[in-house]
Amino acid sequence: MIPFELAEPRSLKEAISLLDGADETVRPIAGGTALMLMMKAGVFHPTRLIALRYVAGANAIELAGDKTLRLGALATLGALERTKGLRDAFPVIAQTLRTLSNVRVRNVATIGGNLAHADPHMDLPPVLAALGAQVTVAGPNCERTVAVENLFAGYYETVLARNELIAQVSVPPLGSKRAAYVKVTTRSADDWPALGVAVVIDAEGRNVRRADVFVSAATEKPTRLKAAEAALRGAEADETNLKRAGEAAASEVETMADPQGSASYKKELVRVFVARAVRKALGLGDAQGRAG
Amino acid sequence: MSMVSAGASQIGRSLPRLEGRAKVTGRAEYVHNLRLPGMLYGKIFRSTVAHGRIRRIDTAAARALPGVFRVVTGEDICKVIPNPYYGPAFHDQPILALDKVYHVGQPVAAVLAADPHVAEQAVQLIVAEYDELPAVYDEVEAVTSKAVVHDELKPAGAFADLKHLQGRKNTNVALDYHLRRGDAEGALAQADHVFEHEFRTQQVMHTPLEPFVSVAEPRENGITIHSASQGPSFVRVEIARLLGWPENKVRIKVPYLGGGFGGKLYIKLEALVAALALIARRPVKIALTMEEQFYQITKHAATLRIKSGVSKDGRITARKCEVWWNGGAFADVGPRVTQKSGFSACGPYDVDNVHIDSYALYTNLPPAGALRGFGIPQLCWAYESHTDMMARALKLDPIEFRRRNLLRDGRPQATGTLVHDTPLEKILDRLAVRLNWGAPFDRGNGTVRRGRGVAIGFKAVISPTTSMAIVNVSADGSATVYVGTVDMGQGSDTAMAQLAGEVLNLPAESITVVHSDTDVTPYDMGTLGSRSLYHMGHAVKTAAEEALAKLRALAREVGLPEGTNVPVAELFRRKYGMQAGNVIGTGSFVPSYTPPEPGTGLTTNVTPFWMAGGAGCELEVDTETGHVRLIKLVNVADAGRQINPRIVETQLSGASIMQLGFTMSERMDFEAGQMTNASLADYKIPGLHDLPRVIENEAVESYEPSGPFGAKGVGETATFAVSPAIANGIEDAVGVRLMQLPLTPEAVYRALRAAHGTPLGEE
Ligand SMILES: Cc1cc2nc3c(=O)[nH]c(=O)nc-3n(C[C@H](O)[C@H](O)[C@H](O)COP(=O)(O)OP(=O)(O)OC[C@H]3O[C@@H](n4cnc5c(N)ncnc54)[C@H](O)[C@@H]3O)c2cc1C
Repeated sequence: MIPFELAEPRSLKEAISLLDGADETVRPIAGGTALMLMMKAGVFHPTRLIALRYVAGANAIELAGDKTLRLGALATLGALERTKGLRDAFPVIAQTLRTLSNVRVRNVATIGGNLAHADPHMDLPPVLAALGAQVTVAGPNCERTVAVENLFAGYYETVLARNELIAQVSVPPLGSKRAAYVKVTTRSADDWPALGVAVVIDAEGRNVRRADVFVSAATEKPTRLKAAEAALRGAEADETNLKRAGEAAASEVETMADPQGSASYKKELVRVFVARAVRKALGLGDAQGRAG
Repeated sequence: MSMVSAGASQIGRSLPRLEGRAKVTGRAEYVHNLRLPGMLYGKIFRSTVAHGRIRRIDTAAARALPGVFRVVTGEDICKVIPNPYYGPAFHDQPILALDKVYHVGQPVAAVLAADPHVAEQAVQLIVAEYDELPAVYDEVEAVTSKAVVHDELKPAGAFADLKHLQGRKNTNVALDYHLRRGDAEGALAQADHVFEHEFRTQQVMHTPLEPFVSVAEPRENGITIHSASQGPSFVRVEIARLLGWPENKVRIKVPYLGGGFGGKLYIKLEALVAALALIARRPVKIALTMEEQFYQITKHAATLRIKSGVSKDGRITARKCEVWWNGGAFADVGPRVTQKSGFSACGPYDVDNVHIDSYALYTNLPPAGALRGFGIPQLCWAYESHTDMMARALKLDPIEFRRRNLLRDGRPQATGTLVHDTPLEKILDRLAVRLNWGAPFDRGNGTVRRGRGVAIGFKAVISPTTSMAIVNVSADGSATVYVGTVDMGQGSDTAMAQLAGEVLNLPAESITVVHSDTDVTPYDMGTLGSRSLYHMGHAVKTAAEEALAKLRALAREVGLPEGTNVPVAELFRRKYGMQAGNVIGTGSFVPSYTPPEPGTGLTTNVTPFWMAGGAGCELEVDTETGHVRLIKLVNVADAGRQINPRIVETQLSGASIMQLGFTMSERMDFEAGQMTNASLADYKIPGLHDLPRVIENEAVESYEPSGPFGAKGVGETATFAVSPAIANGIEDAVGVRLMQLPLTPEAVYRALRAAHGTPLGEE
């Protein structure tokens, strides 16, 4: 490993001032679980890393009275998992975290790093996007708010400038909506998903008022499936309509091939798992959301 | 005469492993933890092309990097080892590439530095240019390919049956093995039914969690190599040959291994660290990363064609097997796999007319060697899939069809060697019982369909091989066993202590086992092929018996009557006047063997014993996605008499889980010879969540009369039948047959779509 500078700022402002808008070898490091792997593999050689872990207060987690969830970017996934009330307020997040890597990784990986890394195989981005979460982005001159849905520009790419940081993530209350995330692996259970499907559904019984449907892993970034959403809007979640939603999803989605599966196979997975995710959210079918 | 009497028999005791405590408390020795004064770290610069002539290696920038001690290329190696080619079957592998590279990942240069990070960085500064040559990757294409991997075949002297290949040119066939028994063609022509199928297996890796690691330490008068090796005696012979030194100047020390599975046999990093240490005149350590292991040694991909003639009453009358083993760029032990497993390509069936052709091929992929089963899992994948397909076509129950054709004790196996003490039928019976075969079976409904499958295979232990042992009884009556068997996690130290303890009437846990230091422990052919318990076990038993006889003689000498109960310590005191002296017993074992006849491959004595194992499973298939979930996996094996039933059980479950990975998910992916998933993030071994809800393991009642206390080996047995049992279960569930491993959800799904006449696009 080539020697590099490690900065350990104490404030967000200081951290931002140490970033360099023009130099891609200068990067923030949070938990380091993704970045260190890239360094070990020799695909990233830093000249300067800005460690965010000493930034005061950046790991705060607040589950407000109205059930809005506010996460400092440095909050670890493990701390989030152990947040009191999470299971009631956002069962889908609690459940997603259980199969997200392992306890050792979750104890150091941060929510900011999880979003900023922009690997389409990550589990939380589609879930947070479907939940309508927003990130607060801090830059040298100003702060802006970006919906998680719009955070990703492509494969391993975000809309963040090099001198911007994710400061906070805020998830609006789930309310009476119901949500589910389905992680589909094709090699081993701990593999990266071949497909992730997140749905958030506003429904009266089986009658869907509105559905937010996101897929990831099969696509180059977390992607909203508008046609599937349209097929579900105002429809009863019966087998015919779920099938239609799956068909709509499969025809609109652009899947990519990777070691987890070919593009055509992933399209089939989308077809099947959009319906299963809806069933799972609404408590229909079996535990995997398969038709009963 | 008695020592600290064991009281009860040591055989059949489920004694916890002697080294277990040291391992779980982090105190056991591993080469990875070894640091010597003045030690340098070596990092390897590897070929990026699959086949090419080296035009230029530019090491200037690497040499100029501060902290770099030295950069070494193949030419430098030649200064200390003039003929730097090694390999157990062929001397085809250069320590560092000389003029040509044969596969992506082949070592081309090495950097030495006191700081491994500096060495690693310097490696990235080396530039090599190649004139690329046409390459071949597929084992069947390699037979006729214009691309020829090696200009000339260079068989090692050790094997008489390879001599005729000396200097052969223009071929990728490293060895062709043929077996001819009866008249297969004629019988096929007359058979009522003929079935022919072609199967494939993929290239996979051993994945020991301890990657390859070796340290060489030059001494005033020789060299010491600390290595995570399964075969220290072989390494010593080979290093001595390379250096032109006598064996006693080369010392190989092996502490514990974090897994080996057949990968850590023969020369791996040892020749490289030895050469580097002699060049640097300092100790040198090379520890591979997990990712680099993919380029070191792998398991053969294979293509297997099998054709059977079956009579009206369901008897197999003829079988023709053609097997092509993809050996990669260097033969390693592939030619042995080709022959020593090739002869059982016909399976555990009683077939009068057999025709086997088995070919070891060179290709431009990372080399393949032995992996837990020595080719049998590939063969069994083919013949047991084939067996089920025939049973299905003939509308016969698959267990009944097998039972009709199984080899019984006293009947000749394909080579003509009579099978003995091999309870194949009992294994099949136990599988049927444990799967409740006769009872109605819930086949699921909707998108979840259930099925079950069985398979059975067997293996001849490789022969002839030699083991030697020493048993030392000290003046206080305590005993020490010296063996070259490497305990790589399989529990051999514990078993050897039990065997010695049984003879000496000592509790096994009181015995110290000194293993694998060639200056201290005597010769052993290697810890491989489930041979140690039988071969080394015999040697230990013999050595212990000799020690016991000497103690009896000592008792007579000091005037005690036959059968005296005077403690051993007292014998030594009477003889030497104080607590002094010791008694040493030695033992050696090599089984009898008759080499196969060159033309026909036939022999009446191909092996001292057979290992048989079967697997059965219940599974469910998600018809919408192709996902297969194993509900239950049953392993039934023949281990002879179990010396340590607990260890037998863990060997069975461990082997079956390993094979489960090779069956369901593991596959080395290549694009033009370049591996595209060389990391554990993208090469997926099974985790705990991938295991079947139930794994049952059973070792049937069995006794091997020629084994030590009736024992035979068991390290590989549960690998044989897992893959075909699962493929058979999948067909039972959803009616599709997969001919190629691994059985991924996508492969199952594609087969389902093809069966429905709506094949899925390839993109
Ligand atoms: C063994 C293993 C298994 C895994 N399995 C899963 C899994 O099953 N599912 C899953 O979703 N993920 C999985 N992961 C990925 C893991 O979730 C991510 O590595 C982790 O969330 C990244 O967070 P981090 O804090 O470690 O990021 P880092 O590695 O520190 O950073 C990642 C990237 O984000 C940037 N960054 C970090 N923080 C900020 C910030 N506040 N603002 C702007 N940029 C920032 C860094 O510069 C870097 O580019 C796994 C990882 C490992 C090592």
